[in-house]
Amino acid sequence: MGVEVLAISTDSRFSHKIWQEEELSKMIEGGVPYPLLSDPGGKVGSVYGVYDEEGGVDIRGRFIIDPDFNIRAMEVLTPEVGRNVSELIRQVKAFQHVRATGEVTPSGWQPGKPTLTPSPELAGKVWKVWKPEYAF
Amino acid sequence: MLARVGKPAPDFELSALINGGFKNIRLSDYRGKWIVVCFYPGDFTFV
Repeated sequence: MGVEVLAISTDSRFSHKIWQEEELSKMIEGGVPYPLLSDPGGKVGSVYGVYDEEGGVDIRGRFIIDPDFNIRAMEVLTPEVGRNVSELIRQVKAFQHVRATGEVTPSGWQPGKPTLTPSPELAGKVWKVWKPEYAF
Repeated sequence: MLARVGKPAPDFELSALINGGFKNIRLSDYRGKWIVVCFYPGDFTFV
């Protein structure tokens, strides 16, 4: 899909190195294949609205940025619950599709499902071309 | 907080572990590509 992933926490780059070597490489062959960035004091996390000052950590925020450098989506969770990578992939594919075609993707869109083409004629007529059950 | 959905991403430069070595990385190094930035609370944590 041509996506660059950057992972960031407030840990030092040395901690990243040992984590990659001691744990991640035991879960994934070779460890995670993307850079692990170090954000001490949460300076970048603060700019992105995810730094928790009391805990001294960046909480679980994920941002999708397009080739024009615009943020298209964000999802932020408190640390106890992990992300859903399938939803991330779905969103990236949707943003790639709308950027390439000018169509828009309705709720629950998956590749291959119907999209909509915005136009004045469609106003009030979406019910003719899309049904809520398509979202599931 | 400066980052807003629908607005340009604030650029930053941080030191990183990349391909087993240390290097400074700027977000703008990846301009022109789709980028996913994942913050997470800590190495060696559970989730």
